[in-house]
Amino acid sequence: MTALHVVFKVGDVEYVLPASEVVELESFTQATRIPGAPPYVAGLVQIRGKVIAVVDLRARFGLPAVDRTLDSRVIVVRHQDRLVGLLADSARDVVKISPDEFRRPPEVVTEETDGFVDSIAQPGKRLVMKVDFAKVIGRQELPTAPKGAP
Amino acid sequence: MSEGLDVSEFITGYLAEADEHLTNASTLLVSLDATMRRRETNPKAVRELFRALHTLKGLSAMVGAEPIVDLAHEMETLLKLGDKAGGKLPESSVDLLLKGVKAIEERVKALKAKKPLEPAPKALVDALAALRVDAPTSTPAAALSLDPELSAKLALAEHEQLAQGLARGRRGRRVDFQPTPEKAAAGFTITAVRERVGKVAELVKVVPRATASGVVFALLVLTDATDAVLAEAAGAAPGQVTPITLNAPAAVAVDVEEDDARDDSEPAARDYVRVEVSRLDDALERLSALVVTRSKLERAVARLRDGSSDLRGLQAIVTENARQLRDLRGAIMRARMVRVSELLERAPLIVRGLSRASGKPVHLDVQAGDAELDKTVADRLFPVIVHLLRNAVDHAIERPEERRAVGKSEEGHIRIACADHAGRELELTVTDDGRGIDREKVAQRAGAPVPRDAAELLDLITRPGLSTLDAATRTSGRGYGMDIVRRVTVQELGGELKLDTRPGAGTTFTVRVPLSVTIVDAFSFGCGDETFVVPVSAVDDLAELEPGQVVATPDPNAAAAHVRLFRHRGAAIPLYLLGKLLGCPGSSAERPKVIVARQGVEAIGFQVDRLIGKQEIAIRPLKDPLAMVPGVTGSTDLGDGKATLVLDLGALASRHAFRKASA
Repeated sequence: MTALHVVFKVGDVEYVLPASEVVELESFTQATRIPGAPPYVAGLVQIRGKVIAVVDLRARFGLPAVDRTLDSRVIVVRHQDRLVGLLADSARDVVKISPDEFRRPPEVVTEETDGFVDSIAQPGKRLVMKVDFAKVIGRQELPTAPKGAP
Repeated sequence: MSEGLDVSEFITGYLAEADEHLTNASTLLVSLDATMRRRETNPKAVRELFRALHTLKGLSAMVGAEPIVDLAHEMETLLKLGDKAGGKLPESSVDLLLKGVKAIEERVKALKAKKPLEPAPKALVDALAALRVDAPTSTPAAALSLDPELSAKLALAEHEQLAQGLARGRRGRRVDFQPTPEKAAAGFTITAVRERVGKVAELVKVVPRATASGVVFALLVLTDATDAVLAEAAGAAPGQVTPITLNAPAAVAVDVEEDDARDDSEPAARDYVRVEVSRLDDALERLSALVVTRSKLERAVARLRDGSSDLRGLQAIVTENARQLRDLRGAIMRARMVRVSELLERAPLIVRGLSRASGKPVHLDVQAGDAELDKTVADRLFPVIVHLLRNAVDHAIERPEERRAVGKSEEGHIRIACADHAGRELELTVTDDGRGIDREKVAQRAGAPVPRDAAELLDLITRPGLSTLDAATRTSGRGYGMDIVRRVTVQELGGELKLDTRPGAGTTFTVRVPLSVTIVDAFSFGCGDETFVVPVSAVDDLAELEPGQVVATPDPNAAAAHVRLFRHRGAAIPLYLLGKLLGCPGSSAERPKVIVARQGVEAIGFQVDRLIGKQEIAIRPLKDPLAMVPGVTGSTDLGDGKATLVLDLGALASRHAFRKASA
């Protein structure tokens, strides 16, 4: 049984997320900066009346910032009861990958990437990485008082 | 019980089993308390409670614990009546039953300690027996000649109300009302019809239904009036009045599974609002008015297109549309309101728990009144109430022996009172008759000068730092969680917090919050090329920044957002460069402005590049952890489709101050 996956690019690398978790794909123009938020938070965007925090995957993956292009996409993902946006350089196609095609990445990759890579697969001639979404969007402590600020 | 029988070998087993039944009974009573406060019934809990006490009675008879048998018997009898009445119990049952459980617990403990048992408290036994008189008698469930679709919308109590009315010989009628613009013009709106029908009949339920031709309201009534009178009251044709009759008694289908589902619904229930149907009907009706306006608009556009009209006709429609949208918004906001009494229904249980945990007997008096609050405010206010209650029980109320020594009643008293101010604000007070707050002690603990008045004392006990300090000395301290009380009340809800305390006599906290926070007036302003808003309620003053009004201060740490002094209304107040606090790139302006905000009793100035304007905004709270930062309360849309941040200037300043302190 294969499942559809959305393919998106960050730098030269292709990543995938299960299409069932992706709510929508939106082109990206600008986000409202949130002063005091973690550096990899690009800011807030409004998509169909919903206010969504966007994680800049380039910043999250330690890549240098680039100017946004017409290809830039916000991938809105539902994770438990959160809706979070991922800012990717592009998100063009979907591929079918069956669950048993995914392999655990080599140990050293897991370590070096802080666990952002959940698994890898090679549909056709490509190599794609499935991201660990929960890790990427982080598990912030809820700020309770100014003393919680970094 | 025969004298010679040795029951000691049964006792161990009895104690274990009795404990289990008592725990079970307490849990059931707590959930029953919650349902009864919602004016609902929970037949399952009543039945289980009955079984628990019935078993307990039997067991106690075996070991000869007569006082327990007496108590359990009275409680069981009351519950049996309740069970027969479909789970309905008289109002004060839960309290008495809780007292009963407690009395049994005490006697079970005495058995364990091999002490003689005290007889069952006569007052309690009598009170339980007296309640039986008020207990509703069981009524044979009867089927009504109603459309099953309508029937399904009726609560059990409404079914019963209709059935009982019919049994008493009243006439049951269903009146159908379909709102139309013509009827509305003649004064027949659903609200008016409700009122008019209510005068000639007992309105049991109004069920709105969507039909092909629009919304139709079915009014189910009991009346002594004729059909013609009813039809006239409802502005309906006589044919739209149909009789409701009683069919042969049959079991009303009670969905047992639904009862089961309700049991674990308690935590999830917080995301729901219970709405009076009339309010939804009202909103629906305003929505239909908008639909009518839309067709008017279509006709007007068509006329414009063929040149038979000009723009003036359109203007009237736009004006009408604006009014209707405002009305609809009002109607929806009213549907979001929850009763403060509903919010406070759990307070007695909380106090009961705290009282038990701390071993201090406390009496809680709740005067909720009939004020209502927006759901958003209610949800945020609830933790504030819990904190204040916890502080009162844990810290303010003295131990019984201490109270007796100073001539107070052993039982501490806490009172919650609410009042609605001019339909705009809610004032909630939590008063205790405990020891009061000792200024010197608090000052000593916080390492600060002794506060001169209540406002300064409040500032001190709500300092975020103090709670940390307090964690170590919580046993004697006060101030636990007070920073949260302050943050929610003042910063999140834009309200006020006041303190009145007298040593030895008690403390009153007054919380004043707007009834609804979703929509507020706000100032928008710019720093660099970014726009922000701040609620008008948080702003004390706006000023031009004239040269000569600002004095630089020493800057030994070369702080990024250095504080200067600003002369404002005869005082020197701290002035922050807001652009720097927010890290806005390229913030500078030739004629900067100052927003003066208030943090506690202190005024603080924030220099911004430009003021843009004042407008009504709808604040959306930011719920995602990625976006939750101190100083940002939410986001709003100023009409450009972008998210604009709503700032809490006071929190921004203290965030800065804290960073400095911890650097």
